[in-house]
Parts: sequence; C-alpha cells; structure tokens
Amino acid sequence: MTYLIVAYVFAVALLGGFLGWSLRRLRELEGPTSSGLRR
Amino acid sequence: MNPVRVAIAVARKDLKSEWRTRELVPALAQFVVLALLIGNFGFQVDTRNASAIAPGILWFALVFAGLVAFGRTFAAEREQASLEAMLMTPASPVAIFAGKAMAATVLLVLCEVVLLPALTLFFGTPLGADVVAAVLLATVGMAALGVLFAAIVARVRARELLLPLLTLPLWIPFIVAGGQAVQSAMGLPGSYQEAMGLLLDFDILFVVLTSLAARFVLDE
Amino acid sequence: MSRHERWAAVAVGLMVVAGAAIFLYAPTDYLQGPVQRIFYLHVSSAIAAYGCFTVVLIGGLVYLRRESLVADRFARAGAVVGVVFTTVTLVMGMLWAKPIWGTYWTWDARLTSTLVLWMIYAGYLLVRRLADPGRQAARIAAVVGIFGFVDVPVVHFSVTWWRTQHPGPVVVNDALPPEMLATFLLTMACTLVLAAVLIAIRYRIETLSDERMHLAEEVKVITAPEPRMAP
Repeated sequence: MTYLIVAYVFAVALLGGFLGWSLRRLRELEGPTSSGLRR
Repeated sequence: MNPVRVAIAVARKDLKSEWRTRELVPALAQFVVLALLIGNFGFQVDTRNASAIAPGILWFALVFAGLVAFGRTFAAEREQASLEAMLMTPASPVAIFAGKAMAATVLLVLCEVVLLPALTLFFGTPLGADVVAAVLLATVGMAALGVLFAAIVARVRARELLLPLLTLPLWIPFIVAGGQAVQSAMGLPGSYQEAMGLLLDFDILFVVLTSLAARFVLDE
Repeated sequence: MSRHERWAAVAVGLMVVAGAAIFLYAPTDYLQGPVQRIFYLHVSSAIAAYGCFTVVLIGGLVYLRRESLVADRFARAGAVVGVVFTTVTLVMGMLWAKPIWGTYWTWDARLTSTLVLWMIYAGYLLVRRLADPGRQAARIAAVVGIFGFVDVPVVHFSVTWWRTQHPGPVVVNDALPPEMLATFLLTMACTLVLAAVLIAIRYRIETLSDERMHLAEEVKVITAPEPRMAP
C-alpha cells in the first residue's frame, strides 16, 4: 500500500533528519568552544 | 491592602479610562456588526440556512472582538509604564489581574449587547435568556484567559501575532461547549443543560488556573 | 565519536529493530490490510510526544518555583522534540485515515486534540523565539507550557462530548492479538529511547547556546565604549 510506504518514509525522513541536524549542530557548538569555558 | 478592594479599584480605573476616551467599545461594536456582514456573505446565508449558521457566526464575531479587546487591555499601561508602578505597590498581582479581568469582561459584555440583537436582526435567530446566559457564561472564562495572555505578551515583540496564537487554542473548549449551548437554545438538536454544565466547569478550571498563574506573569 | 553520537547510534539501531518487527514479524490486519502497520509508529510517536510535553510541563513548573536554568533548558528541549513527534503522529494519522475512512481528516476527538496540541507547542516555540531571551522568555514559556498541557485533555474531552451530540467517525481501539501487542510495545519502547536521546542532545545544544550567548554578552561589556558604572 502506497500510504504505508509514504507514511514510514516521511517518519524516517523527519526523525532521522532531525536527529542528524541536531547532531551536526551539537558538533558545531562543541568544536570551537575549547577555550576552557566548560562549566 | 484588601485584595477585593484592589481588584475593584483596578477594574474601575480601566472602565473609567475607557469611558473617558470612549474608543474601544464603539469600535468593537462596529467591528462586530462588520463581522456579521462578512459572515452573511462568506456563508451565503439565506432564510433556509440562517438558523443553522447564525450560532457559528456569533462565535466568530465574539472571538475576533475578544482578540481586539484583549490586545488593548495592556496597551494603556504600556504607554504609561503604569503597570510597573502598580506592581510596586503592596497590592497582590492576583488582585490586579482580577481587576483587569473584570473590566475586560464588562467591555466584552457591552460588545455582546450589540452583537446579540444584531444577530437576531440580521439572521432572525431567537434571543432568549438561555442564549444570553450561555454567552455570558462563556465570556467569563474567555476573559480570564484573554487577560492573562495579554499580560504575557504585553512586553514581547510581535504581540499582535502571539496573542491570537496562544489564546485561541485555549478558547476552543469554550467555543465547543458555548457553540453547542447557543445552538440548543436556538432550537437545534443537542443538550443545553450539559453544555452549560461544561461551560461552568471550564470557567471554574480556567479562572482558578489563571489566578494562580497571574502571580508569575504580572510579577516583574 | 562523542557520547551523544553513541547514544544516537544505539537509538537508531533500536528503531531499525522495531522496523523489522513492524514489517516482518507483525501479522497483517485482517480488516485493514497492510496499511494498518502505520498504527505502530503512529501511536508510539503520540506517546513519545506526550512524554516530551510532560518534560516541558515539569521543566516549566520547576522553573517557576526555583528559576532553575537546567529546568528551562529541558523544557526547551522537550518542546521542540515533542513538536517533531506530534508532526509525525499527525501526518501518519492522516495517511492512515485516507485509505480506511476515505478522507484525510475527520473531526474526531483524538485527531482534533492532537492538532490543538501541535498548535499550542508550535506557539510555545514561537514565543521563545520572539521574547527577549532569558528570564522573560523562560517565565512566559513556562506558563504557556503549563496551560497548553492542561488544555489538550480538556479539548479532547470537549470534542468527545461534542461527538455525542454530533456523531461521526471515531477511532476505535480493538483488542490486539499478542503478536501485534508485542510489536507495539517494542516500537513504543524504542521510540521512547529515541525521544530521550533527542531530548538529551537538544538539552546539550541549549546549554552550549546559552553559554555562547553569555560569552557574547561578556564580550559586549568588555568592548563597550562607555565605562560601566559600578552598581
């Protein structure tokens, strides 16, 4: 059933994309802040 | 300071300043009539469907008027920074909130004094005590929520956008129950008593919650 | 690989396992056919979303009580992850509705209150974006989050009641055969793990962003042209 496929493709794309984007953002933030400002 | 006295004093101040300028209520009244006009054309109302559609148009008109009215609730204070001054007095924020909510309710009721007869005039809907009671009961809860969120967005950029966005989802239960109450009162199927019971429950729930939240919102 | 990346890998692995169960282990529904498999992730997402918004609620309450920045960051994290899961729930729900009921949408209590849920927390995120960051935004958001959390069951209840006055299609819960139940519980558990990992990642992002902003504030002070007056 097409609806089934579209539904799961959407869910995987959104959740996976969100996860990937968040991890990338985390990398960006953790990178240059190595100037000793860790709490 | 006696909180009830404070609340009444705040309500009086708001209503008095509105009476002096007399800008909000006439504007709202005009606005409400225009909303009915748009409703008539938007819904293609004729004598056959008028009684089915009119209850809905009532709520649209009321919601729009409410948003305009609450958008203004804190406008005067902003202009004069008198909210900060009020909050520096020993008056409790809940009392100030209650006062503003009371004033807003009165203003909204004045609006309804125009809306309901106009609705009857334009759409031939019955205007009994049961219709009035339903609208009044819904107004109380909607006013409490409207004033709280008006206070919340008062100091935020784009407050005109945020107010409807935050307030409308919370008004939905009132519109569901109120819509049903008005419909039943106007002769369409459904239980009037149950709807009124729900409205009362929602009023109690949200008046209590908004009063509790007022402390945190009005407390800068 | 950072700590968060390892957790993410585990969460993704678990979701793959759940996916295998959904498509290979769970039996096909007799009445609805294969499209019924949407149910597993659709409902799991809804539950994950509610979990996220509970985090927002608790974060907001703790913040109002103690002005804890940690609580506020969890609230921020919970809100964005919750909105993502709610989106998944809504879209999957609509794609399930179309073949089964013939329409993408119907005003039944669950769909309506899920939509309201989405609107409330989308509003929450907007408020955060528009209010001055810091205490004002956190306070406002806490109140919005708390009211939002209360509103959803109230809306659900009103629409359920409204449906007694205006009958229409209702989402029915049949009893599940054991294989389906097992698949569902597995999917739900894996989805909750994913939600937790996402919240943890977003929490860290919020913490680092806050620090960055704080740093920017300090730099502004140091490089300001006028000397700062001592308090």
